Formats: sequence, C-alpha cells, structure tokens
Amino acid sequence: MKRTFVYIISLFLISAAGLVKAQDTILFPLKIKAGIELSGPVIYFTNKSNLSAEGYLSVDINEKTALVLAAGYLDYKYSQYNYNYLNKGIFLRVGTDINLRKPEVFSDKYWAGIGIRYGLSIFSSETPSFKEENYWGTIYSSVSPSTSSAHFLEVTPGLRTEIFKNFSIGWSVSLRLLLYNSSEKNTRPIYIPGFGRGDKSLSTGIGYFMVWSIPYKKIKYFVKPEAPEIPVEPATPAIKTQ
Amino acid sequence: MEPADRLKHKCSENDGYNISGATKLCVTVSSLQKLFLLIPLFLLLYLFSSCTPVSCIEETTAFVKVSFYKSVTRKLTAPDSLTIFGTGMETNKLYDKGFRVQPALLPLNSATNNCGYIIIINGITDTLAFTYSSYPHLISKECGYSFYHTIDTTLTFSRNDIDSIKIMKRNITTINEENIRIYY
Repeated sequence: MKRTFVYIISLFLISAAGLVKAQDTILFPLKIKAGIELSGPVIYFTNKSNLSAEGYLSVDINEKTALVLAAGYLDYKYSQYNYNYLNKGIFLRVGTDINLRKPEVFSDKYWAGIGIRYGLSIFSSETPSFKEENYWGTIYSSVSPSTSSAHFLEVTPGLRTEIFKNFSIGWSVSLRLLLYNSSEKNTRPIYIPGFGRGDKSLSTGIGYFMVWSIPYKKIKYFVKPEAPEIPVEPATPAIKTQ
Repeated sequence: MEPADRLKHKCSENDGYNISGATKLCVTVSSLQKLFLLIPLFLLLYLFSSCTPVSCIEETTAFVKVSFYKSVTRKLTAPDSLTIFGTGMETNKLYDKGFRVQPALLPLNSATNNCGYIIIINGITDTLAFTYSSYPHLISKECGYSFYHTIDTTLTFSRNDIDSIKIMKRNITTINEENIRIYY
C-alpha cells in the first residue's frame, strides 16, 4: 500500500514538472497610461467654432483589463440660415478596457481590444436666435440658456501601438447609446458633449489618441504551449471483396 | 546565423521577450502597422462625412389640421368649394375655391396668442378664431426650430354654414393628426 502511494505521488510530481517545463513565462509590465485625444484640437485649427478636448487615465489591473477614467470639454457652436446654437459642457467616462489579444502574440507594446464606458455629460445650451416663417410672416425668437445632463453607454473598439519607449498612438471607433437626457423635450440639445448628436439616441465617433505609459509593476504571465499536431495518416484504399 | 534564427532574434529584441512563436509575432505586428497606415484615410472619410451639409426634409410648420364632416350624416365629406384666408389677409388666400380639400391646414400666428380665419364653404362665409399658447420646438439640426401650440378648449366661430366644431387634439404639432372637425 505504502509503495503504491509513493508511486502515485512520484507520478504526479513528474507530470507536474513536465507541465511547468512546457510553459513559457513572460514578465508582463502593468502600466498607468495617460492619453489625449488628437482629432478634436486638429479639427479646431480648421474650424474655430468647435473646440473639443479629451484626455484619459487608465490603470492596468492585469494583462487583460484596465480601469479607465476619461474627461473632456466641448465648446460647440452651430449656425445656419434659420438659427444659431451654442453648447458648452464637460463630460466624464468611466469603464474598462479589455485586451482581446494574448500577450505572447502582441506583447505589451501593442493593444487591440474593446472599451466599455459609462458616460455623464453636463452642459449648458442656448439658441440666441432663430427664425420661423409661415403664412403670418417671419418671427424672430430665441431659447434662453439652460443646464442639462445626459447619461450614455459607449462601446469603443480600438488599436494602440508603441512608437517610442512608453509612448503610443492609436485610434478607436465609438458606438454610443443615450440612456437619459434631462433637457426639455421641445428644446433638446443639438449636440451633447462626449456623446454626439442630441436628436438621436445612437451616435458614432472616432478618436485618435497619443498615450504616455508608466510601467508600475511586472506580473508573470504563463504562455500555454500549443497542442501538438496529430499527423494524419493517408487513407488506405478500400479492399474490394468479391 | 540561419535566416529563421535572425528573424526570431530581431523580433525578440524588438519586443523584449524570448518566447517561442516569435516569427508569428513579427507577422502580426506588421499587419497591425498596416492598419495604422489606414488611419488618416479613416479620419478624412469621417471628417468629410460629418461636414457634408444635409438638407431639411421634414415638415417645419405646425398646422391646425381641419377635417370637414357633413352635419346630417356625420360622415367625412370634403366641401366642393373651399376658400380660407386669415383675418385681414384677404389678398393672401390659403385656399381659393379649392375643390374637395381634406384636410385644410391652418397655420397659427406665433407672434400673438390668437388669430382668426375667414372660411367660405360652398359660397357661405363663416369665421373661426383660435386662442392658444406657443412654445419653440426643435425639429432637427437640419431644419432648426418651429413653434408648436396648444389651443384653448373653446373656439369662437360663426354658424352660417358651420353647425358645430369638435376639438380632437389640442396640441398643434408637425405630426400628421386631426386637430379639429368642422361639421357643416
């Protein structure tokens, strides 16, 4: 009995050693990242009426997940033949970034994944002038400033790549769903900071980011070995029976 | 050094890892860099799509939608001749001897809280006056604002050809729904 027990334990230890040997270990650096969105300031140089600025901080929890806090500011002006519109506000996004690629394939210098965020926007909007024309003539009026808030969800898949040490660029597309808008129904905002068009419940966007990373900790990541390929033997010709 | 080893070595240096499958890593990163080259194209497409002006295709005037009914049969019946113009707007007629108009669309004056119409049904003249409150409403980014109205529960009208008037919806909006019924 004792001999059998020793044999089983030895067998277990040998197989465990074999498993460990089959795995590669990499040290994966966890990072604190600070990023700024570039397309907003670039657009501002071509169109001075709209200023959008956004930045974010993220902290890696492990090789797959990071916690993200983003904040931004929007100064939006819109004008057309029958009205002028102003909107100014701030927005916050909190959520997580999920790395969809394995570290042994992409390393820590490349990121391809999806972000999920909850967004809050607080803004003030007004229509300094608008014009209505009908049978009775032309009427000029305005909508006085009012402060509102909006809540939304965002899904944002994207890519990042390191171009210098600890310095990355990347882009992401965003799909946003408006959950709640406190504005009055008749004078809802034309644009919601951080969300997009206020007269739609879905909005899309694209962001181009510059990111500075600070490694703060290294964790061990075990690379699972690939399963060996089983050779397929050529099929034997069927034997004909008479 | 063999070519395969050189590739493996280069990739390992680049990424700081000494793992099996380094060749695979190089191929994957190259594809990723190609994706990054496409970014300016995406950005330009997005900018162009967001800057293209879109014209207003929605109804922007909130009309009082008036349907005509025969008072005897209580059935929807358009008059053979209908003339409508605002009080003091004789030279600017909304309908001028219109044949079987159904419904008639009457805009309200947003600058005041009341306005009146002269309605001539089959040659017989009546008057109809509305009292209401108005408020601005955003139609859309492309169309801008319009005034919506809420009409009072009582309407003032003459009874030459008009028998009675029934208010169906007090809110006067751009939605296509019947607001009042005129029985004649």
